[in-house]
Amino acid sequence: MDYRLVYHSANRLESDQDQKHAQIEQILEKSRRNNAQVGVTGALMFNAGHFIQVLEGPPAAVEATFERIQQDDRHGDVALIQFEPIAQRGFSNWSMAYVGSSPTDRLNGIGARSGFDPGKLDAETLFQRLRALLTQEQV
Amino acid sequence: MLETRTGIVLVGPEGRVLQYNLSAAALLLADRAPRETLAQVLDDAEKFGLIAAGAKERILKLCASGGGNCQFDTVDGRSIHLAASSAEHGQILLEFIDVTPVVRSVRNEQRDPLTGLPNRVALLERLASILTGRDGVSGQPALLYIDLDRFKSVNDTLGHAMGDLVLKRVVDRMGRVLEDGDMLVRLGGDEFGLLQVGKSQPHAAEALGRKLIDIVGRAYLLQGNMVNLGVSIGVALAPADGDEAGLLIKNADLALFKAKSDGRGTLRFFTDDLNRRVQARRALEVDMRRALALREFDLAYQPQYDVGTKQLVGFEALLRWTHAERGVVSPADFIPLAEETGLIVPLGEWVLRTACRQAASWPAPLSVSINLSPVQFRTPELVPIVLSALGQAGLDPSRLDIEITEGALLDNTESVVAILEQIKALGARVSMDDFGTGYSSLSYLQKFAFDKIKIDQSFVRGVVSQPDSAAIVRAVAALGASLGMTTIAEGVETQAQLDEIGRFGCNQVQGYLTGRPLTAQAAAALIASVSARD
Repeated sequence: MDYRLVYHSANRLESDQDQKHAQIEQILEKSRRNNAQVGVTGALMFNAGHFIQVLEGPPAAVEATFERIQQDDRHGDVALIQFEPIAQRGFSNWSMAYVGSSPTDRLNGIGARSGFDPGKLDAETLFQRLRALLTQEQV
Repeated sequence: MLETRTGIVLVGPEGRVLQYNLSAAALLLADRAPRETLAQVLDDAEKFGLIAAGAKERILKLCASGGGNCQFDTVDGRSIHLAASSAEHGQILLEFIDVTPVVRSVRNEQRDPLTGLPNRVALLERLASILTGRDGVSGQPALLYIDLDRFKSVNDTLGHAMGDLVLKRVVDRMGRVLEDGDMLVRLGGDEFGLLQVGKSQPHAAEALGRKLIDIVGRAYLLQGNMVNLGVSIGVALAPADGDEAGLLIKNADLALFKAKSDGRGTLRFFTDDLNRRVQARRALEVDMRRALALREFDLAYQPQYDVGTKQLVGFEALLRWTHAERGVVSPADFIPLAEETGLIVPLGEWVLRTACRQAASWPAPLSVSINLSPVQFRTPELVPIVLSALGQAGLDPSRLDIEITEGALLDNTESVVAILEQIKALGARVSMDDFGTGYSSLSYLQKFAFDKIKIDQSFVRGVVSQPDSAAIVRAVAALGASLGMTTIAEGVETQAQLDEIGRFGCNQVQGYLTGRPLTAQAAAALIASVSARD
């Protein structure tokens, strides 16, 4: 049975836009490589202040992936909001989908306009929103 | 030459190699070809990768000094003990003994089997070698004493197997944060020591500590369980905070104690002031334990009167401590410490039994009010002790008035209320002390049917001069009346205050105006004089 994990955290990336972009590229590249090896899929969303990430896969692999994420000091205030069995993966085609292609893209625009605060949303809403954004924008 | 497992080399004047056996050749000569001097032998042994770097210097130094012992490692991982002794004609006898098995077992003794980390013994050894300058490290060594918050509840709720798993994960995360040269040891249970050398202090210790608190304090996901831990850290810097291993560890532990009492998830450095305060506390604690045995504690009884009839209704028992050297110690100084150390439990029991016995000597229906600490509610013996104190004294339960503060209800409200119900079921009465000073005094009135409300003296003192204090006293008196609870004003010092309180409908009064705390004999005398008047 696959599990889904959803967390959000405060990002501590460089404030310089280019460096920030490079760091996100690096995070994505590494997580895609690691995830593919252990059968984990998911999505990462980033806005000016936060990360939201969904991880799906066998529970042990998801736990191990989450532990690696917990040891990363490029973010903090990690709040785990869901870890539950799922009937079917929502991001089965992505080892790690990235919602938004650059730190100044439309998504951040949406985030800024709607005063997006992940702390106020439940896991299901976050998950659905990520999926919606992904199907709209990236595929 | 003697063929033994011990390698033997006889060195003559100017370091010439005179004789050696096969074991020594196997140890030091890669090509088994003889060399003229010991320096050449060792040079080549190092070059051919037989002995570890640095061994050559140590051995030559030992020979130059005329004798002694040292230990070095071979590149293939053996530990060799070298004993050098001077022989005839200025010759030196070198004996190389393979002590690998001994060293391995010592190293195992210095390792924690669960986490694989070095243990306290290893830390003491390393600290000793650093503090005596043998290690030649630069900068101030810092010792971080690390303790996990809430680890006990992990063991309690998820079991020890899970607790062990968590510890391993914790160590794994700590490892990520460490830098080269740092030494992490497990000191026991959920306590770790981290020795940081060669850094600029106190900044490096602070930075490392903050990082540990952040990373190790993040949630763990283990086999479907989410585990939340915190990290508290105390730091001591050598040599300022201890030039000897034991003292440095002790002072880092003191700093940890401070960090924990400052609210966990924090880092504190050892300070002299902290040391003084802790010493003073320890001394007070020792004296307090002794005082209980020496009966230095005593009870004073402050009279309580009915405002309307001016009749004496009872006394509040107040704990007094007169120490031979300290003099009179204020309860404000020793009660918090007694609560922290748990000494309040035997002390509280003594108060209960003594006050009940005293009250039993007074004519009915005079009552005695006794304060209970929140800590006493956490022991299962409280109700049996109350029952036994009443029984032994032969005091009618209705003459016992148990006073509690809001603090007792703050945590585990339900279980405390359950205990209060049992005390009431015995027939005793229950009062809420210091009413109005807490956060939610009113909500507690709803949770338990108190018999009496004691209006805090901070409001009583302002009842004449401050309109808001007056308003509060009036409101509480009215509240008591409508809930069927007696109200008593404490800290009444002037006639004007007493008049005002009476006007507001307060039922009872206690304070310097109507009577200061009295010794047991003086209280008995007061009772006698009152009865004579009646």
